[in-house]
Amino acid sequence: MQEEFGRQGSQLQSHPPVARWDDWTEYDPQAWPRRAQRHYRIVPTLCFNCESGCGLLAYIDKESGEISRVEGNPLHPGNRGRVCAKGPALLNQVQSADRILYPLRRNGPRGSNQWQRTTWEEVLETLGSRVRKAIQEGRNNEVMYHVGRPGHDGYMERVLQAWGVDGHNSHTNVCSASARLGYALWQGADRPSPDYANARCILLISAHLEAGHYFNPHAQRIMEAKTAGAALIVIDPRLSNTASMADTWLSPHPGTEAALLLAMAREIIGSGRFDAGFMKQWVNWQDYEADGFVARGKSFDEFITALAKHYDRYTPGFAEQVCGVPASAITDAAADIAAAGARFSSHVWRAAAAGNMGGWQTARALVLLHALTGSVGTPGGLSPNTWDKFVPRPATVPPPQKQWNDLLYPPEWPLSHHELSQLLPHFLKEGRGRLDTYFTRVFNPVWTYPDGFSWMEVLRDEDLVGVHAALTPVWSETAAFADYVLPMGLACERHDIQSQETHAARWIGFRQPVLRVFAERERGEKVRFSYETNPGEVWEEDEFWTALSWHIDPDGSLGIRQWFESQEKPGTPLGVDEYYGYIFSNSVPGLPEAAAAQGLSPLEYMRRFGAFEVAGDVYRLNGHAPPGPGVEGAVAEGDLLVKDGRALGTVVGGRPVVGFATPSRKLELYSPTMRDWKWPEFALPEYVPSHVGPEALAAASAAGSCPAPGQPAVPGLAQAHAPGGNSWPAGVPAVIWPPHAKGEVMALVPIYRLPTLIHTRNDNAKWLFEISHRNPLLMSGADADRMGVATGDLVRVHTEIGWYVIALWVTEGLRPGVVACSHHLGRWRRDRDQPMERWGSSVVEVTEPAPGQWMLKVKEGARPWPSPDPDSSRLWWSDTGVHQNLAFPVHPDPVSGMQCWHQAVKVQKALLGDGYGDVFVDTNAAHQVYLRWKDLCRPAPGPGGLRRPLWFARVARPAPEAYAMPAAAPSRFGSTESAPLV
Amino acid sequence: MRYGFVVDNRKCIGCHACSVACKAENHVPLGVFRTWVKAVEVGRYPGTRRYFQVTRCNHCDNPPCVAICPVGAMYRRRDGIVDFDASRCIGCKACHQACPYDAIYTDPDRGTAAKCHYCAHRVDVGMEPACVVACPEHAILAGDLDDPGSEVSQTLGREPVRVRRPECGTMPKLFYVAAQEAAIVPGHSRYVGSYLFATVNSAMDGAGLHGATLTEPSTSAGAVVAYDVEHERPWGWQVPAYFWTKSVSTGILVVPALARLFQGAKLSGRLETVLSLAGLVFMGLTVALLISDLSRPGRFLNVIRMPQARSWVARGSFCLLTYGALSGCLFVSSLAGAGDVSSVLLWLAVVAGVPAAVYTAFLFRQCRGRDLWQTALLPLHLLAQSVVASSAVLALVPGRLGLTPELRRAAVVGLAAGLLVHMLVVIWDLVIPHGTVGARRAARLVTRGPFRTTFWAGAGAVGCGVPAVLLAVSTTSALVVGLSAAAALVGLLAFEWCFVMAGQGVANS
Repeated sequence: MQEEFGRQGSQLQSHPPVARWDDWTEYDPQAWPRRAQRHYRIVPTLCFNCESGCGLLAYIDKESGEISRVEGNPLHPGNRGRVCAKGPALLNQVQSADRILYPLRRNGPRGSNQWQRTTWEEVLETLGSRVRKAIQEGRNNEVMYHVGRPGHDGYMERVLQAWGVDGHNSHTNVCSASARLGYALWQGADRPSPDYANARCILLISAHLEAGHYFNPHAQRIMEAKTAGAALIVIDPRLSNTASMADTWLSPHPGTEAALLLAMAREIIGSGRFDAGFMKQWVNWQDYEADGFVARGKSFDEFITALAKHYDRYTPGFAEQVCGVPASAITDAAADIAAAGARFSSHVWRAAAAGNMGGWQTARALVLLHALTGSVGTPGGLSPNTWDKFVPRPATVPPPQKQWNDLLYPPEWPLSHHELSQLLPHFLKEGRGRLDTYFTRVFNPVWTYPDGFSWMEVLRDEDLVGVHAALTPVWSETAAFADYVLPMGLACERHDIQSQETHAARWIGFRQPVLRVFAERERGEKVRFSYETNPGEVWEEDEFWTALSWHIDPDGSLGIRQWFESQEKPGTPLGVDEYYGYIFSNSVPGLPEAAAAQGLSPLEYMRRFGAFEVAGDVYRLNGHAPPGPGVEGAVAEGDLLVKDGRALGTVVGGRPVVGFATPSRKLELYSPTMRDWKWPEFALPEYVPSHVGPEALAAASAAGSCPAPGQPAVPGLAQAHAPGGNSWPAGVPAVIWPPHAKGEVMALVPIYRLPTLIHTRNDNAKWLFEISHRNPLLMSGADADRMGVATGDLVRVHTEIGWYVIALWVTEGLRPGVVACSHHLGRWRRDRDQPMERWGSSVVEVTEPAPGQWMLKVKEGARPWPSPDPDSSRLWWSDTGVHQNLAFPVHPDPVSGMQCWHQAVKVQKALLGDGYGDVFVDTNAAHQVYLRWKDLCRPAPGPGGLRRPLWFARVARPAPEAYAMPAAAPSRFGSTESAPLV
Repeated sequence: MRYGFVVDNRKCIGCHACSVACKAENHVPLGVFRTWVKAVEVGRYPGTRRYFQVTRCNHCDNPPCVAICPVGAMYRRRDGIVDFDASRCIGCKACHQACPYDAIYTDPDRGTAAKCHYCAHRVDVGMEPACVVACPEHAILAGDLDDPGSEVSQTLGREPVRVRRPECGTMPKLFYVAAQEAAIVPGHSRYVGSYLFATVNSAMDGAGLHGATLTEPSTSAGAVVAYDVEHERPWGWQVPAYFWTKSVSTGILVVPALARLFQGAKLSGRLETVLSLAGLVFMGLTVALLISDLSRPGRFLNVIRMPQARSWVARGSFCLLTYGALSGCLFVSSLAGAGDVSSVLLWLAVVAGVPAAVYTAFLFRQCRGRDLWQTALLPLHLLAQSVVASSAVLALVPGRLGLTPELRRAAVVGLAAGLLVHMLVVIWDLVIPHGTVGARRAARLVTRGPFRTTFWAGAGAVGCGVPAVLLAVSTTSALVVGLSAAAALVGLLAFEWCFVMAGQGVANS
């Protein structure tokens, strides 16, 4: 372990030597140049702002006992002591004057924002007895836990499975479902792990130098490679900061990215610059079928000929025509990729995959480039994330639940990745179920999700949602519609184990309540629960779920309590020391030895250092022999090693190897799963037109308004064909404009992060909001000139379900014909005095003049207010941005279930009376859009009468029997005739 | 040992980690920054890029903030770090004017100057500055420029670098690898009323002038500033007013003394008393104005208690003190009717008035961040202004207080001659092409920008035109002379306003 942190060529250190972390002395910067010494204890934890899980060090002042500042943890393998802007801003979040410090109970109609303080005992009593009753009555599926930001590897699956509840809902489908499906179809694992640092060419479709999985750790390694000479190619319609750093910026029309990638693939195949040896060994080419050619029984060379013929349609000229990117730039990029060979690395996350219908084909087309160059599992290449993410096993693991919850994985989307969480309001409106007890955790769908007013309609309905408990460190628009608001600890106030695939290594990080550690170690106090050292009555989740489980099953008769009972002291609740102590002592290879070398117990090691590298330089695991115990008794079936009907490995070069986590144990270029689950036309990576592709936009421009009353609710679908490629058989859903929608039709790119912000979780960070507090609509100079508008002008942006008013930023950093807006800003509160993140929210008035007709008007921007923090009276900005997501309908991709965020919009100059930030939405129209998109699905059952392919990952995986679709599956929701209930 | 920074723009991804880490480390309040990441969008689609530039104190080898600081609150340490001692600072904000990098601000809680100090409190325990530690890309390098083996020296040896505003002669020690013209040269990119993801901080006095700043044609025409931060205009209305009162005070005895010397004009004891009192009162006003513009007025005596010898703020204070003391003595002696003593004191006061009038030119010369103020004619100009202002006041003195017709004529001559010189200098300074871009931009703010009305109508028409016309009509009519004098005084104040405010109106970042 590194003990000191000097830098070559400098006499200064970046971090204090490890030996002095318990007692570190610095001069007080505020007294300087007077040399006033301050003494600190340095306690590590993990950041909880974005998903990267970077290691942090909290400097705790020994005199005051408070956190003085937060830096990066140099022992953390992911971020290596460095941070982004959000890391040090944790201090703002801890000290925020607007924190929720006590559990609150609703004291008025739901959503009225009237609260009274309650006790945790009352909370546990009420929620515990409700869940208990639901389980006793077999209404397990009415209990749901909905998480915005996870970061608690495996913990909640364990809790819910202990309850026997199939109730884990997440944010995945507004984020990454299509990327996941694309990656999963190739490699089993639904996320990639690029080894940027060793790459010679990096192709990014997302903006990893400012956002995404995993911003800071990845940005470090991308720039390391670039500094060492790697070519950086960025595909993005918008000049992101990442695109700005690129050697090559390609800005295709949104939704055509797959065509661009396939043209590169075609160049590589056609010129013979692919890695034939790799392809032959590791790609399932024998399964390939296309254009009448069946590879089984044929030679590899014949397959290559057929492959070249199939992809020959994607010429650079074709791509130029579709994407609007010069053919020569495509050829050059292909040359860079081919030259990098096995050291080619790439990533698509969110971005094009999340924006477009069929975005999973973008991910598949991207991985095709890796299959061709042999850059899978190699140094500088791309690995499955499962190789580099390590989830240790707790002492006891409950059996999987036997239920299948159709609210999470509904039959229409058997291939979804994962829960169709954005459709929950529509499912509830359709009568698919109800929620007895709904836990949301760091989850703010009213604001973050599309169609937030539909969420409000459902959340305020006490028949549809019995009790809503919002577990959150901060106020949110959604918490305002809860019955209980339960303050939970920030990054430095709770326990978690987190591991992320930041590079070609496996590590775990330990998030911990640093003041608890300080109290125990520095002051020798005995702390039983983290809330004893947290501010106010802020709890941590671990202790909450254990306490709640005891309230659900106080006498153990339901068989739930046993999973939350101490094994050391039977009959008492499981404590965090025991839970994590067991994991670190028994489930993390190498950790006990490393701890012993320091003279520490494994738990003490993690408390002291905060992170542990389980394995470094993880490459080519596909070539490893299948693990010994699991493979015993496996039999060969063709090339496969099969045990209990599951393929565990394959034979490559005469040697048994574990391969990849797909049915063929190979990289699946051709997907038998897609074929067998009713999408044979998409068995290969292809370009499929997006709902905002050039053709769809042309159709939207020509489209009229809503049909007159009496006409079918769901008019036809727009035919959009990829010239030369495959198409959606039924076309893309037609855009039907409301009668008031006027203006130029453009593609809106509404999903990009800023490096300083993270959704709605850090509006309590004044330092971040000072730097970023507005989200103008980006428009290209060419478009602005034509429309006669300029930077600062107000425009109305119409969607299918409403409109919003926003200011323009005219830029040369955007493809003409496209407008773009970051989703990060536009927070609001309905009450000036509501202590909701006043750094970043405006006061609004929300009205519903007619059922389903919602209007949000900004009354007043951010303004200074008195608080113990003198900075609150120095707040100098008033603009807090525009909340655009409200005006977006749900767009569930028919295959992956992804919310296809990009929108066909009409942009016009603001009308008289329009105010900055105004939003209008018709939720009845929103439901119609949902129905139009749902119509494209091809529902389960699939082969074997299953709800979902068994080999696909599924969160909180149920028992195998739950996968069987009931014989007479009701089809009442398959029809578009159903009307919304509200 | 000579600490410096190298910022490698090839690596900077514009994440603002350095800015926030600095705020956390140094408890920097909202509204002000010790370091920030300026961003500029350059080029026409698709040949577009967004350039980032970490912007902060340059820890100059020849730090103008140190030279100008009257109390030694800004100082250069032996290791090359330019540090500050808030406990000495009187809040005169001269350092803000001296810095050509807009790196210094006034801490809103303490009222004292603050800036990046290289995290000297960390360096002294062997730690890197907080921004260097935070930076995910190691784009900010800190180290010893005197050590050829240090990372900063090695980088400087290998890579072509640029510094900001080398023409200011500050010898900055913040070097940029791959600097972008549009980002590094102020005025080469356009401000469009807001930034990409932030608004302009209009709470800052100096803000808003960004928009008025006319962009220079450059290789990066069309460049737009996507992020920057505003800086408070350091000096308020008190400073132009101080120019004006000081001109009256320091020149009030000049014309009578010269008239007596060359024309044998009689200077009554009564008039001597009146004039020395006027000098004293206007000097009192001058000092009061200066103190009221301090953000720590209670500490104004620090200038006398702990003067920093190179500072023209400190030197000027002593000039004012000397002149004030002599005026006071003259007042006392004339009141006592000690004619001989008064004659000596008169001449001593007249002589002492010259440095008191002119020192501001050297102070403004020390304001290296203000190109408009770097004019070589400023000493002459201040003398002329002093003659104009004092002659005008003299001309307004009623006869019953002892002003003889000869002295009134002398005042008219002084007024006319002073105005002529004043006009010539103004034409020279604002109309004749400028040597530096900053001076040209500031001059344009005066002649064509937000100050144009005050300048043309106030300083020009009222201040020069009206007296010229009236004095052509009559130099003897008390009414006409009085009107001319009043107009000249109004015009002079208008000019001071333009000169001081527009000089501060050109952003340095």
